[in-house]
Amino acid sequence: MQIEATCETARSAEAPQVLALPPDAILEDIANEIAGVERIDIHFPSFKDGRGFSLAARLRERGFEGELRAVGNLIPDQARLLKRAGFDRVAPDQSGQAERWNAALTAFSGDYQPAEDKTEPAFARRARKTRAALADALNADYADRPAREVLAAALDRFKGRIAVLSSFGAESAAGLAMIAEIAPDTPVFFLDTERHFAQTLDYRDALVKRLGLTNVKILRADRDEAAAEDADGQLWRRDSDACCALRKVRPLARALAGYDALITGRKRYHGGVRETLEPFEFDGVRIKVNPLAGWSREDVQAVFEKLDLPAHPMVEQGYVSIGCWPCTAPASPANVRDGRWRGQDKTECGIHQPLAAGGQGGPLL
Amino acid sequence: MYRYDEIDDTLVRERVEEFRGQVAARIKGDLTEDQFKPLRLMNGVYLQLHAYMLRVAIPYGVLSSDQLRMLAHVARTYDRGYGHFTTRQNIQYNWPRLVDIPEILDQLASVEMHAIQTSGNCIRNTTTDPFAGAAADEVSDPRPWCELIRQWSTLHPEFTYLPRKFKIAVTGAKADRAAIGVHDIGLRLVAGENGDIGFEVHAGGGQGRTPRVAVKLRDFVGQRDLLAYLTAILRVYNLAGRRDNMYKARIKILVESMGADAFTEAVEDEFARLKNGPLTIPVEEIERVAAHFLPPAADPRPVAKSADPAFLRWKAHNVKPHKVDGLRSVVVSLKPTGKTPGDASAGQMDALADLADRYGLSEIRVTKEQNLVLPHVAAADLADLHAVLAGLELATPNAGLASDIVSCPGLDYCNLANARSIPLAQAISKRLAETGLDEPAGELTIKISGCINACGHHHVANIGLLGVDKKGEEVYQLTVGGVADGQSAVGKILGPGFTADSAVEAVLTVVRVFTERRTGAETFIETLGRIGADPFKEAVYAD
Ligand code: SF4
Ligand code: SF4
Repeated sequence: MQIEATCETARSAEAPQVLALPPDAILEDIANEIAGVERIDIHFPSFKDGRGFSLAARLRERGFEGELRAVGNLIPDQARLLKRAGFDRVAPDQSGQAERWNAALTAFSGDYQPAEDKTEPAFARRARKTRAALADALNADYADRPAREVLAAALDRFKGRIAVLSSFGAESAAGLAMIAEIAPDTPVFFLDTERHFAQTLDYRDALVKRLGLTNVKILRADRDEAAAEDADGQLWRRDSDACCALRKVRPLARALAGYDALITGRKRYHGGVRETLEPFEFDGVRIKVNPLAGWSREDVQAVFEKLDLPAHPMVEQGYVSIGCWPCTAPASPANVRDGRWRGQDKTECGIHQPLAAGGQGGPLL
Repeated sequence: MYRYDEIDDTLVRERVEEFRGQVAARIKGDLTEDQFKPLRLMNGVYLQLHAYMLRVAIPYGVLSSDQLRMLAHVARTYDRGYGHFTTRQNIQYNWPRLVDIPEILDQLASVEMHAIQTSGNCIRNTTTDPFAGAAADEVSDPRPWCELIRQWSTLHPEFTYLPRKFKIAVTGAKADRAAIGVHDIGLRLVAGENGDIGFEVHAGGGQGRTPRVAVKLRDFVGQRDLLAYLTAILRVYNLAGRRDNMYKARIKILVESMGADAFTEAVEDEFARLKNGPLTIPVEEIERVAAHFLPPAADPRPVAKSADPAFLRWKAHNVKPHKVDGLRSVVVSLKPTGKTPGDASAGQMDALADLADRYGLSEIRVTKEQNLVLPHVAAADLADLHAVLAGLELATPNAGLASDIVSCPGLDYCNLANARSIPLAQAISKRLAETGLDEPAGELTIKISGCINACGHHHVANIGLLGVDKKGEEVYQLTVGGVADGQSAVGKILGPGFTADSAVEAVLTVVRVFTERRTGAETFIETLGRIGADPFKEAVYAD
């Protein structure tokens, strides 16, 4: 956060791109004025009047990304609170205390609450350590255990905060059948990118019915975001990363809030970064459970046969990993993900990477 | 009890250094008194009538024996050999020097204590049932939640300059011993539909000059959403609470002026945006904190029968049931006849710390009635414990009785006071002993405040005294019918005010009329409800 000397506060607040807000501003009433503004100056009539802190935090939460400036009767001892509430600059009435302002910014090395400076609050720091240790401990216990035991343990331990992400693709039925048997009410997320093959959607519905899954949740891109970013529906052609972000990463991040564990269908034999997969994996935010990590293609096949599971209708046409139609082509069974984003470096869609806060994508089951 | 990890320890020590710098800046003149005032208040430092006063936080009233020893050390080294336990489950020192305070805070930090936010217009120490974790009627232990609230509210970037002070109380038991109805936010732990524990949320209660009973905002808030919900309430209050008039700045006034429905709606709206966001408490953190508050082990030793009448009387009043077999909770009365309610000498604190180590799993609680509690004592040890307590003047058998008087510091210390409180408490206590009314009256609450700020909680006393200033004279108003715990109620003024002496006799008369008119095991409130205020009024104003 930058501290301005008082003499500089002459920077005009009347410039069209700057909005000056009194402490009693009601954001709901001025939403139109805020749109497009580059900087908002929030006035503090007295340093004891803390409304500006909540105003700033609210503006940030509602997505204001411009500059926030605290103006008025403020004291150096408030530097850190201002920064944490979301301010970028402060223009205090009283000048000549730069040293105290700067010292106050670094008076504390950690915080208890999440705030707009996006530092990690104490509870998250602690939970992250605990979660990482838990993944290690679970791996020690379950490294060589059968898939079903891994899955049952995960569903039990993370009851109420575990979900599955499924593409209802070529291999999905094997893992889903196991989940349906243990806990059919487990939330199963399906990312409807609106670019799926019709066969996938039909197959999804048939499989859900056949297995008796009772908690399937269809996730779609936010309407407004889609209209803004992909008006012509051709974003995938121009920028597949942006398209995946719009249609997969962000909807999933929203849906996953409140979930601490995610079941995946990734297997070591898929190759690439998946070759070292363990049954439990902490990605910095969530525990990923990979019960099928050690399965081979033949293991999957055996389950399909044993349970007489229906195959995805496109498998016999040579598709082994099935995603959106613009980005999927047939591939050889030896290298299943070759058929995805053919002709690009891309091999993963981004939902596997941990997101800094709140959202985390998971791979497909 | 909770133990600091490195994060907690670092923060408290950094806070000491910050305050050391602020005191230096004040002395150097970089900070004006007006600027320094809120900063020192948020570190527990008041300017009183005669000197600075330091209020040290005892988070939710829980102390270890080592912490109590440190409090004794501070009393001995920096004060006049005693400390005063407050109705907010804190301790106050009335005579420290400002220059010593950073050093005192540094020493407190070495035993995981601080004075953060014990005053000022910020979120104060969360209070709870002094029998938490021990009470036989507990639904769920409130202490982990108090600790989570403590951490969330400490140095909060948004809620450090609120319109006014803000107090949260949590109860985990069926019987509300935390007075959640008269707090800015009152939380009750309840079991939800599927058996999960969550919170029933009340807001807008308070004492002071406009006492109000809180309204219920919600029947159930899930555990992980607690901080998001509290943030929503605080944010609505911080933005909309009045700042033009300090007497109208508490949340109770906002709730009343907006109306309970509109206020609730505003909170729900804010909560809807915050829910499932970064304020969601990780399950791991809930488990980590809860693991510090495991129930003690049962004690199977047989209990010898005692025929000692002093012990039996003490046991009847000061020993409470415990949820674990073979254990009891013991109230250590700080209300010996004719003494200052809530005062404890350094010697008493040290001795009690030793007793806690010997008989009470090294734990002590502070109650809002200004007593101390040894929460986990073996039934088999009660007689031995009683004998030692008696020798320390800490075995007065009056927990919950009329002579267990609550009193604010009043005009003897407080610069806001209209009238003295402590001398009245002392006089009433003496008269109750002389007249022998204490025992027959049974459970009865008497509370005294030296001004309308109501630190002595007089509004919620069965019999309350309030000091007012009438043309330079100390005058006392007498109220009857208040209730703090459970179905909170505010007492009603009985009639014209009294001088100090006649106020003492008026209280005695009310107690006497009650003992004469009660039938069976009626409580004061039940008798009052049955016969009305007139018989009391007539007797009090007879002469
Ligand atoms: S896989 Fe292709 S179509 Fe599907 S979301 Fe990604 S870029 Fe868009
Ligand atoms: S009630 Fe009044 S006199 Fe008593 S301590 Fe509070 S402010 Fe002081």
